[in-house]
Order: sequence, then structure tokens, then C-alpha cells
Amino acid sequence: MAAWLVRRLVASIAIVFAVVTITFFVVRLAHGTPCGPAGERPLPPDVCERQRVQFGYDQPLLVQYGKYLVALRHGELGESFGLHRPVADALADAIPNTFTLALAALLVDFALGLALGIYQAVRAGRFGDVAVGNVALLVNSMPVFWLGLVLLLVFAQWLRWFPAGGIHNPILCPRLLSPYCLLDFLWHLVLPALTLGLVGAAGTARYQRAAMLEVIRQEYVRTARAKGLRERRVLLVHALRNALLPIITLFGLAFPFLFTGAVLIETVFAWPGMGRLAVNAIFQRDYPVVTGAAVLTTTMVVLGNLIADVLYAVVDPRIRVQRGGRGGGGGSV
Amino acid sequence: MPTTRLARALATVAGLTGLMVVAGCERPTGCSGEYCGTLVIASGGEPDILLPPVSEFAITRDVTDQLFLKLADLGLSGNTIGDEDFQPQLAERWEWDAPTTLVFHLDPRARWQDGHAVTSADVAFTYDAYTDSLVNSSARSTLRHIAAVTTRDSLTVVFRFRQRYPEMFYDAVYQMRILPAHLLREVPRNQWRSAAFGRAPVGDGPYRFVAWKAGESIELAADSTFFLGRPHLRRVIWRFTPDQFVAVTQLIAGDADAVEVLVTPDNVQRARADTELATYPYKGSQYGYVGFNLAAPGDTTKPHPLFGDRDLRRALVMATDRERLLRNVLGEFAKVPPGPLSQLWWIWDPEIRELPYDSGQAARLLTRTGWTDSDGDGIRDKDGRPLAFRLLLPTTSAIRRQYARLLQEQFRIAGVDVQLDEVDFSLYNERARAGRFDALLNTWNTDATPSSGFPQTWTPAGFGRSNYGHYDNPDVDRLVDRAVASAANRDQARRAWRAAVETLNRDAPGIFLYATSNVAAIHKRVVDVTIRPDSWLALLRTWRIPADRLTDRDRVER
Repeated sequence: MAAWLVRRLVASIAIVFAVVTITFFVVRLAHGTPCGPAGERPLPPDVCERQRVQFGYDQPLLVQYGKYLVALRHGELGESFGLHRPVADALADAIPNTFTLALAALLVDFALGLALGIYQAVRAGRFGDVAVGNVALLVNSMPVFWLGLVLLLVFAQWLRWFPAGGIHNPILCPRLLSPYCLLDFLWHLVLPALTLGLVGAAGTARYQRAAMLEVIRQEYVRTARAKGLRERRVLLVHALRNALLPIITLFGLAFPFLFTGAVLIETVFAWPGMGRLAVNAIFQRDYPVVTGAAVLTTTMVVLGNLIADVLYAVVDPRIRVQRGGRGGGGGSV
Repeated sequence: MPTTRLARALATVAGLTGLMVVAGCERPTGCSGEYCGTLVIASGGEPDILLPPVSEFAITRDVTDQLFLKLADLGLSGNTIGDEDFQPQLAERWEWDAPTTLVFHLDPRARWQDGHAVTSADVAFTYDAYTDSLVNSSARSTLRHIAAVTTRDSLTVVFRFRQRYPEMFYDAVYQMRILPAHLLREVPRNQWRSAAFGRAPVGDGPYRFVAWKAGESIELAADSTFFLGRPHLRRVIWRFTPDQFVAVTQLIAGDADAVEVLVTPDNVQRARADTELATYPYKGSQYGYVGFNLAAPGDTTKPHPLFGDRDLRRALVMATDRERLLRNVLGEFAKVPPGPLSQLWWIWDPEIRELPYDSGQAARLLTRTGWTDSDGDGIRDKDGRPLAFRLLLPTTSAIRRQYARLLQEQFRIAGVDVQLDEVDFSLYNERARAGRFDALLNTWNTDATPSSGFPQTWTPAGFGRSNYGHYDNPDVDRLVDRAVASAANRDQARRAWRAAVETLNRDAPGIFLYATSNVAAIHKRVVDVTIRPDSWLALLRTWRIPADRLTDRDRVER
């Protein structure tokens, strides 16, 4: 298990390095110049040229790459010319927001998805199953930004139950210092997390239904019932644990979805996270921010997958044994 | 047991709901009277840095104009010629010692918010910074006619110009926000773009900086001791909202009080449907046009195979029903410009002569120049070559994308095949600047005066800069030069501008499609709202919320 984990870690670092390299070159080789705000008037060429020199973009690409790697080794992500501040500072502001949103969405996704999946499996073929399945399919088919706009219109503009975007009340809570402001933050989190989580939950429910159906038809479940155990215990204790295995894989895969979804949701709900930061940086060709965001996002996604792999091994001892038997072969689950 | 669990679950839900309700309500409040208002502005953009010489964003100007004063500011008339329509700010008065020597006398009451007096040394320092290549300010070129800025005493500063021209005063005062020398002198000039001062500035304006949460909001608080009069609104907060639809939703939901520009007719309709909101139309600073590339793409030494022909360009202008396009896309929120003009410019004149919409004459002109539909495929051709070109536009502009499709259809009817090149904004700029296009659908955000923007866009002074289409007519250059450099008064300048625009219209270097009209939406409890079109918050200090219209949000103390 330890050797397998080390191999997985090395592979993860290699993936992050590869993504950094690809992003570094792709963003610099893309058309367009790092010059001025997107959507406003472009900078005069002389001002633009001086800026290029100031930031070293006039140097050969390989020299820039070498310098970037050296800086990265020391934990430096460079200076953003669009934000006029260190990239690390900008990302440090944004990461907690994206992370909170992603975690909240993950919570909605899996809590709701698992509950609905189990409900559907238990009532397979009946009205409840069909109704939930169809609604889930409908939600799953919706573009996430569109769903966000609908929720915003209904719950923020018409009903006024929730705020229309933002992360907190800028008058009362300029900083998160009080319990009141923490609640205010959670209140602002509801709509974006719900939007992102609902779309995920619709997919999770379908997986969970299938997994649960497969498990509850197996012999040991029948045996459990024959022993006279209560149905709730049979389902939630005996069947669910095995039915969770595919869902753990899904958990690993949910990270990239959440981060890409966050890009759109952060724009719709004016949520100041990494997605919004990266999108603005791409439009401005703000190379250091784009590459910095790629480094962090990749690291988090790779970590998410690693955690999923480890969890998989923990939940299913057979996998541990197989991996140990094969000398720790560490393919992705 | 199940009953107990159910009760516990219900209690939890009720508790959470209660907390939500508490979070949704605002806390008890304190401030009362005339100086308690809080204005929350939903803004589409966020400043990059609050240091005026190094930022290019309009939103930065909105914020920093509340923090830093100019020597004098443009009046409501928008007249940029001479000095009679300018209002004193840091300078309480000024006089001309000689035709090219302007002397400002600073108001002795002016103070930086850290208590230091504002002096002439600050003004000289500011000029030096704006013209320093290390600071790399884009306003540098507009200050090129000023030879020197010197101090006579601590409150007197002297501007010496290289030559006399109509907008000397405008150039001296409009671009520069005076900066505190004592706080910035020690910061290396090549590090101004990331200076800590730019994230927590100390100014001399009606508002002082309070907080900036990146990606979220900026807050300013009124300086109750401001020497030109205490601002009525005690707090101004910008909430950054990347999407315009969401910004308007925040306004309607009561989470914001003002939006600068509603942009689309849909948003205006939404705002007008809300009885709590007032809309304020004002002149826009943007114009949009199809620009023809008069030089061969990528080789400016040769004429463009199609658009090098003046008659073809004129025919395409006459084949375009600009009024109809405008009605379909922007409705009442723009006008068809009589040339490359924004409504903001004082030279705007609907009487300026231009080519009419006349599809019959356009067709005859095309036929006369040899472009006929010889093979009956609906597209005109000449010497076996179809009359076809590509139109470059950025994907970021929904309005231009709509225009492009409608234009494509109008040109198809005229027998011209147009293919659209929709690219991202950065690539669009790169190709436009390099001249790698046949025609482009461009917009310009203009300054308060045509004197710098127009020559940069429509004379050889803009080659390699903003004259993307390489338009060059010596007659236009001469007339523009007369208007900018030697007109004795506003009337003479206006006549020269009009002649220049009419000459340009005859050459048809572009199809001038729309000049925007802006509409701001502001909550009705905010009164005495005056919007100066070149800078919508220029007179924010005079806006107020009467004591009887205050809400909890206004009164709340932190």
C-alpha cells in the first residue's frame, strides 16, 4: 500500500508538472498580446511594448520558461500585470472562496444524490422512481449557468429570499469577523452552491440508483433480510456500503466538474473565486495568473483523485489486496 | 424514538431557518440626518490599482476621481476649448502670464487625508510622474505639448507650453489627478504598477479610502472636512459583478442602488419596470463602425484589392440601411452618427453631410465599376472574382455580433458576400493593429474631446496605433490640424472639424453605424443626481439621500 501510494504521489507530481508546462506554452503561443484590459480601449503600442519589456515577455520563450520554473521552485508564481499584484496574493484571496463553494456544492451533490439514488432504487419502476429520474434528467441537462440565472431571478429578484450574488453584505460585513457575518456568508453561499450541487446531484442519483439496484439483488442482502433484520438496516448498513464504491470514483471525478462549473457559477453569482480570476486573466492574456491558476487547480484535482483512490482502497479491502499482490500497481481507479 | 428524531430534525431546520432570517435582516441602526446616505454601485468591472497614472480602466477613474482631485475639472457643458467652462478644484484660480504660460494658485485649504498640505510640489511631482517612461502612463502622449511644470511658491505652480492651441487648459488639467509627493517619492517609478499605495491610497478628494476586497467590493467614506464642501453620501461602495444581467438583478433586488450603464434595451426595460428605480439617459462616449482596410492585409505598402477602390467603399456605405440596423439592435439607446463621432463630443452635429442610404444608387455604382452578377449566383463579380470579403469582430460584444449578422444579410441583398471572422478580444486587437483583416466591426470609447482620438484614428498619426484601416487623406489631416492646433475660438474649431468629417465621409473609409446613448439606473431615494456624460460620478459629492428616505442600510453603524 505504501509503495503504491508513493507511486501515485510521483505520478501526481508529474501530471502537475506536465499541465504547468503545457499551460505555460499554450497560453503564450495563443494569439493576442498581454496588453490592456479586455473590452476597454487597447493600450497605445508604445505603452504596451514597454510593459512587455518590463515583464520580460520580449525574451525567448524557453528563457521565460526556465525563469518560471526556477521561480516556481521557490514557491513564486510571478506578478500579474493585469491585477498589479503578486499572483500568489490574488490566488490566496480567491482559493478559499472557490474551495468553500466547491465543498458546499459537493455536499449538496452527494447528500442529495445519494438520498435520491437510494430512494429510486428502493422504489424501482414505481411512480416515485420514474418521477425523480425524469426530474433528475431534466436538471442534469440544464446548462449550469442557465440554472444559476433562473435561481437568481426566482429567489433573488422575485422572492428576495436570497441575495443577488456576492459573497457577503458589503455594508455590514466588510470582513468575516462576527458570527452574524459568518451566517451572512452562508446565506450568500446557498444559491451558488445549490446551482452547482443540483446539477451534480442529478448525475450522482443515477449512478447511485444503478449501484444500489445491483447490490440489493445480491444473495447476502437476501440473507440479511432472511435473518430478520429491519429493512432500513439492510439497506443503509449492509447494501449501501458496497453500493458506495462506484460513488467514490464519482467523488474523484466530481472535482474537475466542480472547478469548471465554478468558472461559470462564479461569474453568474459574482463569487470572487479562482474561476472568475482565471477567466479575466485569459481574456487579458495575463500569463502569470493563467499559469498560476492552472498549477493550483491541477494540484487540487489531482489531490482529489488521489484521495478518491485511497478511499476506494479503504472501503474495498479487495482492491488493497489486489494492488499489494501485483506489487502495488497504481492505475487510476 | 422516531418521533424524537423527527422533532430534533424539525428543530434543526427551524433553527437554521431562523439563522437565515437573522442573516437576511439588517441590524439595528444609528445614523440620522442629511449626511447618512450609503450608495452601493453594482459595477461590471473592478479597478486594477487605485493609482491613476498606471491604470487604464474606466472603473478605476470612477473610484480615483473621488479620492484624488484635479487642478480644475470640466464643466457640465463639456466644452474643452479655452478655460471658461472649467470648474476650480485644487486650484482656486488661475491666470495666463503669457500666451503659453499658465499659472495655477492652489487652494490653501486643500489637505491630504493624512494631514499634509497639498502644495505646488505635489503638482510638479505629478507631472513628472505622468511623463516618466518608467511609470508608462498612457496619458503621457496627451501631455506632450507641456514643456515644463515648475513651482513659484508652495501654492503657485506654472505650466509652460511648447505652443499655443485651443485645448491647452484641458490638457493641463483633465488627465492628471494630483498625487501626494511625500508618500510616493520614495517608491521606485518602475514599481508603481504594484505599489502598496495603489491598494490603500491616501488622497485629497471628497472621499477617503476604507477597504478593498479583491473581487468583491471597494468602500470609500466621506471626508467630512473636505474643503470644497462635505459630501452628502457618507459611504460609497462598489460591488463588483462580472455580468451586467446580474448587476441589474442586484439593483432590482435592492442589493445595490446604482448601475452606470444598462447597456442593452432588455436591461433598460427591466429597470424601468421597477417603480423604485429612476433611469437617467446621458450622452455616450462610444461609436461603432465597419472600418475598411484600405491597405492590403499584412502589407501596408499596397492598396487593398477591394477597399483600395473609393467607389466600391461609397457603394457599400450607400447600400447599408443604418437606421434600420439601429432600430433592430439598439433601439432608442443609440443614434446613427453623422461620421466617426461619439455623442459626447461637442462637435456632434446632425447637419454634417454624409452619404445617404440609397440602395439603387449603390447598385448603379457597383455596376458602373464593373461589379455585376455575371453568373447569376446572387453575388456580384468582376474578372471572375466574386465581390466577397471577411468581416473581423470580437466574440465578446453581443451588440457587434448582432450587427454583423444583419449587415451580412443587407450586403447579401446588394450582391456582396460577407463572411464573419469572430475571434476573441485579444486576438481581435492583435489582428486589427497588424492590419490583418479586410474589414472590421470596431468601436471606440472616446475622450471628452476629439482632439487626440480623432487624429489617432483617422490620420497618418495613428498608423501603427489606432488607424487600423490606414486611412490617409491630406485634406482631412490639414483640417484636423487646423481644428486642433490653430483655431482661434470654438466656432472656428467647429467649422474645421465639420469640414474634416464631411471630407472623410465622402471618402467612405467606414460605415458609421451607431453612437451610444447611456442610461444609468439609480434608486429613487437618491436625489439631486446630476450626471456629467464624460464621467458619470464627477458630481457624486452633490448627490444625496434625504433624511426621511434613509433605510436601515444607510443608518447602520459598524
